[in-house]
Amino acid sequence: MKMLPSSLMNKHWKWGIFILLALTILLLPLPAQSAQASEKYIQIQASSYEYNPGVVRVKPGERVTLELTSTDVTHGIYIDGYNLEVIAEPGQTQTLSFVADQTGTFRLRCSVTCGALHPFMTGKLQVGTNALLWKSIAIAALGIAVVIWTVRT
Amino acid sequence: MHEVLPLNAEHSTRWILIGLALGLLLAIFLVRSFGSGQAIEVHAKMPEQGGWTPSDLAATAGQPLHLRLTSDDVLHGFAIGQSDQPPVDVEPGKMTELTLNFDQPGKYTYYCTRWCGPNHWRMRGTIEVQPDLNKPGAAASQSSQPEAEPLFIQMGVDIDGQPHTDRIPPDRPNARRGQALDTSLPEKYLAEEYYRTHSPVEVWESLRNEAFTQSYSDQQVWDLVAWIWRQGTSPAKLADGQMLFAQNCAACHGEMGAGDGVMAEAVAAEYASSGHGPAGPIDFTDPHRNLATSPVIQQGKIIRGGMGTGMPYWGPIFTEEQIWALVDYLWTFQFEY
Amino acid sequence: MNRVELTRVPLIKTALRSRWPQLILRVIALAGFLLAILAGISGTPVGSRNFGIVFVWIGWWALLMLVAVPLFGRGWCSVCPIPMPGEWLQQGALLKPQGRGLGLGKRWPNKLRNIWLQNGAFVLVALFSTVILTSPLTSALVLTAFLVIAIAASLVFERRAFCRYLCPVGGFIGLYSQVAPVELRVIDTSVCASHTEKTCYAGSAEGYGCPWQVFPPGLVKNTYCGTCMECLRTCPHDNLAINLRPFGTDLNNPTGRKMDEAFKAFIMLGSAVVYSAVMLGPWGFLKSAAYHIGSVQWLVYAAGFLTFLFLLLPGLFYAAVALGQTLGGKKAKPTGKAASRSRLFGTHRQAFTGFAYSLVPLGLAAWIAFSVSFVFANISYLWPVLSDPMGWGWNLLGTASLSWTPYLTQAVPTLQALILLGGLLWASRTSLRIADQQPAQPTAITRPLLQALPIIAFCAAVTFGLLGLLIA
Repeated sequence: MKMLPSSLMNKHWKWGIFILLALTILLLPLPAQSAQASEKYIQIQASSYEYNPGVVRVKPGERVTLELTSTDVTHGIYIDGYNLEVIAEPGQTQTLSFVADQTGTFRLRCSVTCGALHPFMTGKLQVGTNALLWKSIAIAALGIAVVIWTVRT
Repeated sequence: MHEVLPLNAEHSTRWILIGLALGLLLAIFLVRSFGSGQAIEVHAKMPEQGGWTPSDLAATAGQPLHLRLTSDDVLHGFAIGQSDQPPVDVEPGKMTELTLNFDQPGKYTYYCTRWCGPNHWRMRGTIEVQPDLNKPGAAASQSSQPEAEPLFIQMGVDIDGQPHTDRIPPDRPNARRGQALDTSLPEKYLAEEYYRTHSPVEVWESLRNEAFTQSYSDQQVWDLVAWIWRQGTSPAKLADGQMLFAQNCAACHGEMGAGDGVMAEAVAAEYASSGHGPAGPIDFTDPHRNLATSPVIQQGKIIRGGMGTGMPYWGPIFTEEQIWALVDYLWTFQFEY
Repeated sequence: MNRVELTRVPLIKTALRSRWPQLILRVIALAGFLLAILAGISGTPVGSRNFGIVFVWIGWWALLMLVAVPLFGRGWCSVCPIPMPGEWLQQGALLKPQGRGLGLGKRWPNKLRNIWLQNGAFVLVALFSTVILTSPLTSALVLTAFLVIAIAASLVFERRAFCRYLCPVGGFIGLYSQVAPVELRVIDTSVCASHTEKTCYAGSAEGYGCPWQVFPPGLVKNTYCGTCMECLRTCPHDNLAINLRPFGTDLNNPTGRKMDEAFKAFIMLGSAVVYSAVMLGPWGFLKSAAYHIGSVQWLVYAAGFLTFLFLLLPGLFYAAVALGQTLGGKKAKPTGKAASRSRLFGTHRQAFTGFAYSLVPLGLAAWIAFSVSFVFANISYLWPVLSDPMGWGWNLLGTASLSWTPYLTQAVPTLQALILLGGLLWASRTSLRIADQQPAQPTAITRPLLQALPIIAFCAAVTFGLLGLLIA
């Protein structure tokens, strides 16, 4: 047990390099995804407790209009990251327009209490490639290499 | 480091614990019993789970009725039929306080204003308002003038038929084109009782036989029919009707009136086996049915409901003006105004 | 030395040895616990507006998973109110020992001296969790059941049998407390050797013998030490300390690795994956199946859940272990059919239980990442509930009408990714260290690496799966 921290000391520089590399990967801007000036119209049906479609994909920079139709009780959509909200009652479809100017994956959450599982009513908005996911996988591979390097030498 | 606890520490701690537990229980009990004061707590649940509890309320004319409204599941709303009282939302787990005042004794219907499932419209309750007996003349005011019977009853029309026509306009009838023909229509066609009690096809056939339409094409006569219908209403009425339709009808009849609302399938499935006419909500965009239907039939359907087709009865909810505004709006699915 | 003896600080020592700070915290916790039960029974059935749901499953859960377990190990157990009523009856006192208590004081059965019952209890709660987490009444009944079972256990058995062998929460807190940077340990075991009274286990006028049935001089891991501080009070030689230590120290200690704990690790990791899919995924049919208890869909869901926890995850892990053992060149294999048949996990049983401890940091990271998502999204439910715990229209603090607002929605995915990556790297490191401890390797350098590589691959696969569920 005494080995642990002292060995960690000696290997601090390796972890230092790793953290530096990991941060570089994390903060590295991806090749700019060409912003689309196009329009995207998406119809989403909400029912307790799901959105259909549950995953919405748009291109970065697109002007997105979400058309929310509730099929049983009043539901809403709150978009994480964008912090936008739209609420629709059955029979009264509502729309939400925005420019998809942030890339990544954002959760859609129901914003009107719609029954027991309301807090778990979620969907996803995917704008462009999910850089975070790929960066995480790259950092994981790098990190495992560093772990092996530090423990085995 | 040896700690010297006061001798009675153990006992004080015990009493604190017992006091805490009993105090919490007592507090809950007291609040539960007396916390609402004079107000009546009304719980809203989806109709399949029981709707309003209680669903029968009593009040006295001239005295305020205090309500505490809460929902036990999803968003509901509270409003009183044929009243100016603005609807309030009844939110899950929140208390909405509402004070009502009834001037006139009688039986009032309160209803849910937020769609909460295919049986949303069944979520209704009654408020029995008794005359204030301490007030002189109160008993007399109860027997106020009897309400006029609605037109469809006065007329004795059969509202349960299956209207159908194959005389369909080539184009969607357009009131502006009809207006542009600049024909001076005979008074009879413009009388309210006339256009409300006749179907567009009947009016068209009647117009077709008039001498002044002999130079017109069939389509132009249809445009005149649309112009007659348009003159029977106003933009303000149409706006009212549109709002009522969106809030109360579109969930089944569809936002564009095509009978394809989000609840349509559920309603059709529920009433498919009942043997009451065509399953599912009426398609207001279908000319075969609607051009053979008169406004008074629509009024009757709205007031009385479908009697077993899944169409609710709105008699106790809407005022006469509201129902006519709604009927007027329904024709926008056939006519271009 | 890699330990900092926190109890050297007089203030800390006094605060821990005194019964009062702990008692005050426990009374506050008990009040919250009772209020949660009462709110569940008599308050609004809408979970997001009921104290019983919001405070327990968002407030307490956030505190437990994001703070208490990773930083203080069994710190929660030390202030948990659930054993209080039973212990009061059992000991006849709430403070120092005095007089006699009630109860039969039976020994816990030897066959059940493991955490299989806790494993079962956790899985039982987990199978019904979508209802327990959302229905105030069900939640209240479950909390009441905890209390009743704890009281019954105190009356029938000696010490804290409920905490040690039954509590579904205590089971995983124990497993993950191995990671925590604090520990309770004896300072100098030679002092204990000459101390014949063993007041730490037998009790004294100053305090009770270890309620957790742990013999403090033998402590090498946090797992079953409830940090109740009784031994600090009973030791006449002042020979117990709370130490600050590096994170995850217990994981590198090869002693006491057991199959029940190994399965606890699978159950926890598997539940985090299933919960992430069911509760945070976009699939309504999963939510509905998990919610409609007793329906065919639920039975399928339950069967799938159990298969994933008890067959699929351990099966894949076993395959990884077996591959590693084959590549790493384990020499001795038991011969004869009887030898292999008698072993549930074939020839690699010991390696299987050993490597399963790499899943402790992985599972903890998975739970933190999962919790971060719904805690930040839903913690704003706390503010109205503080003012109106029952949903009766009160406004005690003026916060009743604050609306639901998810917090830090832009930062949460990155935070989750970093937590999961940290868990993966830590798990990888642990598996390499465990590989080093495996017996019978002919060469030192490459073979342990080969043993660990399939384990690392397993951990990476689970991490990528979780990344896919939580941030993709």
